[in-house]
Amino acid sequence: MSGLEVVELSVAYGGHKAVSEVSLQAPVGRITGLIGPNGAGKTTTFNACSGLLRPTTGRVRLFGQDVTHRSPAHRARLGLGRTFQRMELVNAMSVRVNVGLGLECVRAGSNPLRQLFSSASDRRAVDDATANALEVCELEGLADRTVATLSTGQRRLVELARTLAGGFRVLLLDEPSSGLDEAETERFGGILQRVVTERNLGVLIVEHDMALVMAACDYLFVLDFGCLIFQGTPREVQTSDIVRAAYLGSEGIGVAAP
Amino acid sequence: MRDLLPFIITGAVSGAAYGLAATGLVLTYRTSGVFNFGHGAVAAGAAFLFYTLHDTHGLPWPLAAGITLVVFGVVVAWVMERVTRGLGDVPEAVVIVATIGLLLGIDGFLFIQYGNVTRNFPEFLPASGFAVWGVTVTWSQVISVAIATSSALGLYVFLWRNRLGVAMRAVVDNSTLLALTGENPKRVRLAAWSIGSVFAAMSGILLAPTLGLDANLLTFLVVQAFGACAIGMFSSLPLTYVGGITVGVMASLATKFFTKPPFNGVPAAVPFLVLFVVLLAVPASRLPRRKMSVGSLIPDVKPLPTATATALVVGGLVALSIVPAAVGTRLPVWTSGLIDVVVFASLALLVWTSGQISLSHAAFVAVGASTMSHMTSNGVPWGVALLLAGLVAVPVGAFVAVPAIRLSGLYLALATLGFGILMQYVVYPTWVMFGSKLSVSATRPHLGPLNAAQDKQFYYLVLVVTVICLVAIVGVARSRLGRLLRAMSESPVMLATHGLGVNVTRLIVFCISAFFAGIAGGLAVTQFGSASGAGYGPLQSLLLIAILAVCGTRLLRSSIIAAALLAIVPGYFQGFDVNHQTFAFGVVAIGASVVIAKRELLASMIRRSIHPTEPRMAWRVERDPAIRRARDGARVPAGMLR
Repeated sequence: MSGLEVVELSVAYGGHKAVSEVSLQAPVGRITGLIGPNGAGKTTTFNACSGLLRPTTGRVRLFGQDVTHRSPAHRARLGLGRTFQRMELVNAMSVRVNVGLGLECVRAGSNPLRQLFSSASDRRAVDDATANALEVCELEGLADRTVATLSTGQRRLVELARTLAGGFRVLLLDEPSSGLDEAETERFGGILQRVVTERNLGVLIVEHDMALVMAACDYLFVLDFGCLIFQGTPREVQTSDIVRAAYLGSEGIGVAAP
Repeated sequence: MRDLLPFIITGAVSGAAYGLAATGLVLTYRTSGVFNFGHGAVAAGAAFLFYTLHDTHGLPWPLAAGITLVVFGVVVAWVMERVTRGLGDVPEAVVIVATIGLLLGIDGFLFIQYGNVTRNFPEFLPASGFAVWGVTVTWSQVISVAIATSSALGLYVFLWRNRLGVAMRAVVDNSTLLALTGENPKRVRLAAWSIGSVFAAMSGILLAPTLGLDANLLTFLVVQAFGACAIGMFSSLPLTYVGGITVGVMASLATKFFTKPPFNGVPAAVPFLVLFVVLLAVPASRLPRRKMSVGSLIPDVKPLPTATATALVVGGLVALSIVPAAVGTRLPVWTSGLIDVVVFASLALLVWTSGQISLSHAAFVAVGASTMSHMTSNGVPWGVALLLAGLVAVPVGAFVAVPAIRLSGLYLALATLGFGILMQYVVYPTWVMFGSKLSVSATRPHLGPLNAAQDKQFYYLVLVVTVICLVAIVGVARSRLGRLLRAMSESPVMLATHGLGVNVTRLIVFCISAFFAGIAGGLAVTQFGSASGAGYGPLQSLLLIAILAVCGTRLLRSSIIAAALLAIVPGYFQGFDVNHQTFAFGVVAIGASVVIAKRELLASMIRRSIHPTEPRMAWRVERDPAIRRARDGARVPAGMLR
């Protein structure tokens, strides 16, 4: 399987099982959505995928390789990138430097000496990747602004651009539309769809904004109380009684989301 | 067993006092979220006040003790509550600098007022005693232990039975919830600071008769309390008290077993060994934390335009090269200033660029100084020896990086402070470093036509080395490593999820910093012809960090200003000696911390003075409910007193 694969993943915090036996796939070439009500275990699943927390049982595979016990940095070097809901950006530095850090981290992480010394070709590779990512995310005009001065929508794009510059093959996007208005969300979705087809990336996206999910995702996994309750195309999810019950209660009225 | 008993008894007596101090420290830490590095200075201050009242003015001891405890329980507690509340939601480093400021301020005041000598502190409790299994136990020992134990027990009962005590436990957990029940978190914190300060004062008074009246010794006594706090995992009060007694007994037993040089420094180092071991062994998630404030202290650092920067550098170099002609006999002061720029730049790289806190920087300088002396006295050419002075400091830096990999913020500060004290007690007196006389010497070199024995020629030599070091440090800060370091100071998680495990990066920055500090040490010992281990103690490390913090968060600019303040200014104002410096920078560090905490308010005041229509910000931030909620949330460490 080409991309990210989670097999029967369970995570427990003390006695509380936050995620139990969840299996999902995020192959390259498509945008996969992970949705569910608050507290369903989406972010926990995400953190287990990127290695920020240890699963109790289950496997995480990346391009067929078992990475369950690998560090976040190792997974990143194998091609797994991610963004954060709280946006982990270096506020004191410019957009360009922030975006460039995506590839610089990969390069420096593969060889400690590269933290200290970078060859000319190395630097050129970083510059090229940065310029390209800025262009794709339509950030050229902001390249020399300090990140601290940007709006939330622009900051989300900087995070996306950083993962693009890093050359990751599978991206985990944690609530990329939170804090964005409708127009910004639409723009973000458009850019995302474009890069996925152009670069043949795999994307797993945790999202609350159903408009973005339904418009951008090709396939959805639905979590509730830590369990996978449904999977299918956005259309199937929209018409599923199980999903509607999870979001609105079993006596639910109307549709799950606009 | 019989021959160990006297050691156990004296250890338990001082241990009870350590336990008392540590209990107060943990209480204030958990209720206010501020770990008070100045706790021992409070103890020292109380001991001196008691001494002045009882011995100098002849008050009977119960009255003198009563006045002292009231002064510390009311005045000092009130000041501490005000200052720590004023700090509000600032990064942990600022809080640490503020309480280090308190330590330096009180210490400096005591040095100025009473001099740097150890005074005899007469025993005020009855010295008669009785025999237990052939060992004499004095009534003063019994009374000390009784006072300490009953106070600690009393606190415990108070916390569980009294309404205010219960509120105190609640404020630790969630001060906003407590406020909603109608209790006032401010009042509760004030009560906690009162109890904490009184406990510190009591332990100071109880320990002074055995330790003697020595501000430095009493201040670093707090670190004995750190060992006790570590045993109590910085949260459990009973375990902390037991930890105090354990540390006291262990230190006392160590005096029996480690009597000969080079190991006779071990007993004094026992609490720091305990602290160090606990911090390295306990999972970081078990230690209570102050929630980190979001956002970086470091402002948008835009390099100056190239033309301006070049002009400044060239102008600076020209000015520095005509210094020898202009300053006359004060030239050595300027040479020291140059050396200190390297010290501060290496520290700033660590603290400001990469966001690591290190309270043992003077130890790196000391390693460089002693290595330089050993090398040159064994005939190693001066330049090679200087390089080696830097290189030998590198593994020491790597060693300090080990706690830095596991810990951050307060606990890293504690671990590095403990390391600095360990170095001073255990390693400095060995032949590897300063030897039992705590002093090494070095002669100035003849390098070809350059006879550095002359101050003027030596000045130029130091100028060249300094410039090379600064170019290298600035180069590091502007390289890829510099970008990674700045990113690390804001978000290590980001680096990890993008492919860079930050442990190696932390290791590298500590090594680089230690290298340049070592070079500076090598230069310093050459300049003065000798170096003393006493000059590189933990107090010096604290002074370095306080001065650097006062001078801003820029790498080069702050280092130059800091060096000018530390080395050059005192050369022109004779009264501004090291004691006055300690006092002044302590006070300024507290002030600077509050200024940083209120920086948005100050910025708004400046904006209002230009545009009077700007909205006004409240000085008392806590009046804004939204800010109060956020602040209190950030202020209170998670977890309960156990």
